[in-house]
Amino acid sequence: MDFRFTPEEEAFRREVRDFLDKELPRDWPGTDPDLYHEDAFSHIHEVSAAMQKKLAAKGWLGLTWPKKYGGHEEPLWKQIILEEELTYRGAPGLDPYQFVGGMGDLLLEFGTEEQRQKYLPMMVRGEIKGATGMSEPNAGSDLANLQLKAELQGDYWVLNGQKTWQSAAHVADLAPVYVRTDPNLAKHRGISIILVEYKKTPGITMRRLEMMSGLGAFNEVFYDNAKVPKENLLGEINGGWKIVMAALSHERSYGVMLLINIKRDIDLLIQYCKETKDADGVPLAQNRMVRNRLAEVVIQQEIARNVGYKLNYLALTGGNVVSTANCVKIMGGITTQRVAQVGMQIMGLHGQLGPVGGNWRQMDPNDKWTRLGGRMKHLYLSTVCNTIAAGTTEVARNAAAGALGLPREPKPAPKK
Amino acid sequence: MDFGLSEQQEMLKKTARDFCKTELPKTLIKEYAKDPRGYPPQLWQAVADLGWTGLVLPEQYGGSGASFMDLAILLEEMGRACVPGPFLSTVVLGAMTVLELGSEEQKSAILPRVARGELVLTMAVAEPHAMYRSDFFELEAKHVAHHYTLSGTKLFVTDAHVADYIIVAARTKGGVTLFLVDAKSPGVTCALLPAMAGERQCQVNFDGVRLTRSDMLGGLNHGKAYLDKVMQRAAVARCSEMLGGAEQVLEMTIQYAKDRVAFGKAIGSYQAIQHHCANMLNDLDASRCMIHRAAWLVSEGLPCALEVSQAKAWMGAASRRITSLGHEVHGAIAFQHDHDMHLYTKQAVVGEASFGSSAYHAEVVARELGL
Repeated sequence: MDFRFTPEEEAFRREVRDFLDKELPRDWPGTDPDLYHEDAFSHIHEVSAAMQKKLAAKGWLGLTWPKKYGGHEEPLWKQIILEEELTYRGAPGLDPYQFVGGMGDLLLEFGTEEQRQKYLPMMVRGEIKGATGMSEPNAGSDLANLQLKAELQGDYWVLNGQKTWQSAAHVADLAPVYVRTDPNLAKHRGISIILVEYKKTPGITMRRLEMMSGLGAFNEVFYDNAKVPKENLLGEINGGWKIVMAALSHERSYGVMLLINIKRDIDLLIQYCKETKDADGVPLAQNRMVRNRLAEVVIQQEIARNVGYKLNYLALTGGNVVSTANCVKIMGGITTQRVAQVGMQIMGLHGQLGPVGGNWRQMDPNDKWTRLGGRMKHLYLSTVCNTIAAGTTEVARNAAAGALGLPREPKPAPKK
Repeated sequence: MDFGLSEQQEMLKKTARDFCKTELPKTLIKEYAKDPRGYPPQLWQAVADLGWTGLVLPEQYGGSGASFMDLAILLEEMGRACVPGPFLSTVVLGAMTVLELGSEEQKSAILPRVARGELVLTMAVAEPHAMYRSDFFELEAKHVAHHYTLSGTKLFVTDAHVADYIIVAARTKGGVTLFLVDAKSPGVTCALLPAMAGERQCQVNFDGVRLTRSDMLGGLNHGKAYLDKVMQRAAVARCSEMLGGAEQVLEMTIQYAKDRVAFGKAIGSYQAIQHHCANMLNDLDASRCMIHRAAWLVSEGLPCALEVSQAKAWMGAASRRITSLGHEVHGAIAFQHDHDMHLYTKQAVVGEASFGSSAYHAEVVARELGL
């Protein structure tokens, strides 16, 4: 056992920190790892694109990938430390749809040599933005029910149907889109994955959806005879379910990023409690209830972050990650919501004030009463999705029960 | 980072698991629980013969020189089996303190006998008013002429009824001092408290107990800082027992969910039950990561105040949740005395409250955060 980072790992961490001190705009309040800020606000998107180029110049995009695709074949722990440091500072540029268990890993695992040669180098150079096309109006938790149809006509896949809740689609260049290629097979056997270049494919239209936080970061995507070259099939025809499973298990490590990101908010809240006095003139930090609540969220975050480290350890040593990955996914969602709840309780009516996005828009000069730039309000509203996106907590619990060896849920009787 | 157990640790775990399985059926443990002593002397001897009482003691005192991390792994298994007896008191509170603070004379007199299973030790810290907060201790060792007289009451002292020596944390002029007190000294009286679980707790009165400077451990007024260390060690040891207990509860619950049929199906196939089990698993996984980390920090002698308190505050609440859900899945069968669940439910309740409650450790965390 050893719960420390090695000196070499600590040195790399310092290198990343120095880079961020130098390259991030001054007083950067941090974007969230779900990219909702940067996809909703063009000025943040621009900073992200610039940071992406800087990360590419450092060789930190595709850090672990093979050299022949422009990668650097560095050990996985470097990638983990990079993700940690960027996330804690809320630094954009390491597009999770490409680099944090995203398309890049799927291409490496399932792509053809041509596909890898074509797409991986442009990711490494920081030239494109990714997204992912999974959910549909009737395929969320029941993902195998997806209906977007793809038919092979000559040299093209012709896509017809609809996706929804597609984060970042309106700014993305490339996404793996999950389609039905055989409606006659059992639900999860007729699914394939097609790499779609959104901006270069006629027949695709998008409609921005506004989230309850007010951010417009995700989309409905409509396909009307959209033609994609047939060589853009990822993996085997009707063999997509395997890739779905791989993609979802990658996405669950997203919980780790949520947990690191929320540390910034916890620190913000602690600072607020030290600086803010109650009606009796006593700092909130001396109030027993406040101390206990803050300690509890700190403990919960720290415990969950440790599980995240365990997940990394298992990934690095080839252990079975299923239950640990589910644990992190569940704890990530619950912990971020708990921080927002505690923050709202502590800040009271001041907590619910603030502009859309919190911390990110020019504050109204007449607004004297919003605190922390409206971050807590935004956090409360935006974390609602954290127990739902990338697999609901309930679906994760089903998977955990499966890992415990519990019998499968009885199937409803077939319709007559 | 390395979360893995060494080969030796795996072996220790297996030996302990096998011993508990064959020698300590739960029927026996429930019988011991009714006995005022709490455990049979031959069990204590068997534990010593396995080398457990001397596990962390150096070879020169008849021990095997293992680490605190190894001990934590053993405690997990002991907690999993609800092994009765004064093990934590003797080894974690007693022997480790004597080893670190004792004079050579004290160490040679006590430690080899602990390793051989001939002595039971404990430590008396909590008081009716102050609980674990040494700033408020009322029990006092008064310096009179060439000796000290010890007067006052200690509460929730584990296994004092069978202890040969009690390490007492007493207020002295200018601080807190630890004394190694022979439990048979005139003026020491002990009464068992009606405690919930198998572990025996006592009220111990000290009425003018006469001590000398040579009975001190670690010197005059050095007790306060060391008590923090003892509390950290005890908290992690207790967490390790609770962790093992929680692991056993999950296993029992999963097995029951697979076996028990209702509405024509194994209840484990229903999502309501599955989610209870998944929640138990998550709490257990999270607890294990943190407790191993805290135990490892203690073991390596690294700064650990924050991590230990995080672990103890978390484990207290987590084992309460795990046992509650275990009951929920088992239904009526498990609130019968015949069933084993209640052993763990009681272990969880006592565990959360002892060596600093969840609230106590949350407050430590708040202080560490600079609040």
